[in-house]
Amino acid sequence: MNLLSFLTQLLHGGLGNLAAYLAAHVLLCLLPAFYIAGAMTALIPKETVTRFLGRNTPKFVSYPAAALAGSVLAVCSCTIVPLFAGIYKKGAGIGPAITFLFFAPAANILALIYTGGVIGVDLAIARLVLSLAFGIGIGLIMALIFRKDDAAHDKATDTMFAAQGTMRRAALIFLLVLVTLLLSGTLKIGLLTNTYAAFTLPISGMDKFQDALYQLVPFDSSKGEEGVTAQGAILIGLLAFIGLSSWKGIEHIHEGFNRWTWASLVLVGVTLLTAAVGMSPHAGGLDILVNGKFFGVLVALAILGLILKTKLTEDETRDFLWESWKFVKQIFPLLVVGVFAVGVIRVIIKPEWIETLAGQNTLLGNLAGVVFGVFMYFPTLVEVPIANMFLSLGMHRGPLLAYLMADPELSLQSILIISTIIGKLKSWTYVAWVALFSTLAGLIYGAWVDGASIGLVSLYLVIFLALLSALLWFVNHRNEQKSASVPAD
Amino acid sequence: MLTIKVLGSGCANCKRLEQIARKVVEDMSMQAEIIKVTDYNDIMAYNVMSTPGLVINEKLVSYGRIPTPAEVTTFLTNALMAE
Repeated sequence: MNLLSFLTQLLHGGLGNLAAYLAAHVLLCLLPAFYIAGAMTALIPKETVTRFLGRNTPKFVSYPAAALAGSVLAVCSCTIVPLFAGIYKKGAGIGPAITFLFFAPAANILALIYTGGVIGVDLAIARLVLSLAFGIGIGLIMALIFRKDDAAHDKATDTMFAAQGTMRRAALIFLLVLVTLLLSGTLKIGLLTNTYAAFTLPISGMDKFQDALYQLVPFDSSKGEEGVTAQGAILIGLLAFIGLSSWKGIEHIHEGFNRWTWASLVLVGVTLLTAAVGMSPHAGGLDILVNGKFFGVLVALAILGLILKTKLTEDETRDFLWESWKFVKQIFPLLVVGVFAVGVIRVIIKPEWIETLAGQNTLLGNLAGVVFGVFMYFPTLVEVPIANMFLSLGMHRGPLLAYLMADPELSLQSILIISTIIGKLKSWTYVAWVALFSTLAGLIYGAWVDGASIGLVSLYLVIFLALLSALLWFVNHRNEQKSASVPAD
Repeated sequence: MLTIKVLGSGCANCKRLEQIARKVVEDMSMQAEIIKVTDYNDIMAYNVMSTPGLVINEKLVSYGRIPTPAEVTTFLTNALMAE
């Protein structure tokens, strides 16, 4: 193989992967996800959750509240670090702060939706449940190990967490309908996927267009690759228009709404509806299959439009649009580059390598997943297409979960930021615990995928928790024996 | 002269708030010093749990969202009256 054809092959791999992602996966899952994340940031008053994070809140309330805050409030770095510092220094202490920090990147709403849409709902649920259990676990451990430092913070005031906040009912309904929109576009149940009406648009040449696309972006369905359909090409075009109109209408939204703002919203609606219907081009024209998804999306969009127009205040609408657009601007370009890179890398990696290393649910395989996650830094959400690549190359779902747990939690960048707030010793202790827990999460989930009974999996968990409690007891015991005069760092 | 502080470690919202603050100050043709506060310990001193935050003459007037230019104008007018 000469160099030129190899490079062409790499380029094709990258472009093919990118086109397939934009056309197939992004729309009905990622587009609503960005708006859900935007609505959560803009419409949920932070006080609704933070008031449970003060230092006088009982532990059984503050730990779950910290996890909830991680999932709901902290989609954006503007919130993660200040809230983390706030909980640690002035609120419930290092335990809930760590729970919050652990939960935010792994189980925030964008990550969960994207994981579910691209890889599978089972892995998204595993990610959520295990992050919740282990996030609280690591929080409790850190709180025990560093009890003394927490005591030192106790003199600080608690006023920051005293504020109460309630969510307006219109905003809540708006958020729920957004979730419905997402579900009606992505759930694969008969009611939504059945076709209820079909008609033919007399556009000739669509079949040739699709054939040309298949030529342009060659794919191998045996490897799990997807081609770009005519529908996909239309959607990519619409996406470009959304980008343009949002840039014109939302980038300067603080100076007022303009025509582009509304144009971008209409375009989003049109795009979602186009993505929902089935299209099959043939020589005579383009068949449009109107399915349940289409009606679901249509109804949801109509309700959203109504609430937006009549119930939300101008401030709420502006904040909602701005936050959503900010997420798109922040994450989407990185995702495009990441997905392209994944396509290129895929051409190089041999499936045998992955299968040898992590094809089975072994301790080594899970460790390999974690180590890769720690040493590689990928921007938010890019870990998902990467995980999907590993999956198609033959990685076991256990090590895959281990990787998915470790990667967003641990990157050099985030470790450095955390260490400015809680100090080096605590940061590295945290890293060690996350690595350990991620490996275990992979092993346990992998065993379950391999068909281990619930009983056996629970037994593993119980044994692990027993070992952990013993260790905690030991640390606790030693701490008590040392005199209280040991200075905090 | 007013002292305006923009609290935030450099995320998109903080930059936008700084832009708005500068523009309003310019439009009102007033004397003001705009300081960016990026250190988390300093930010925490204002009891802010989500950035960006806006502080005028050491008084926290807004946090967790981007105020509109009209709001910032009101904040600044109030602060001038208080001086």
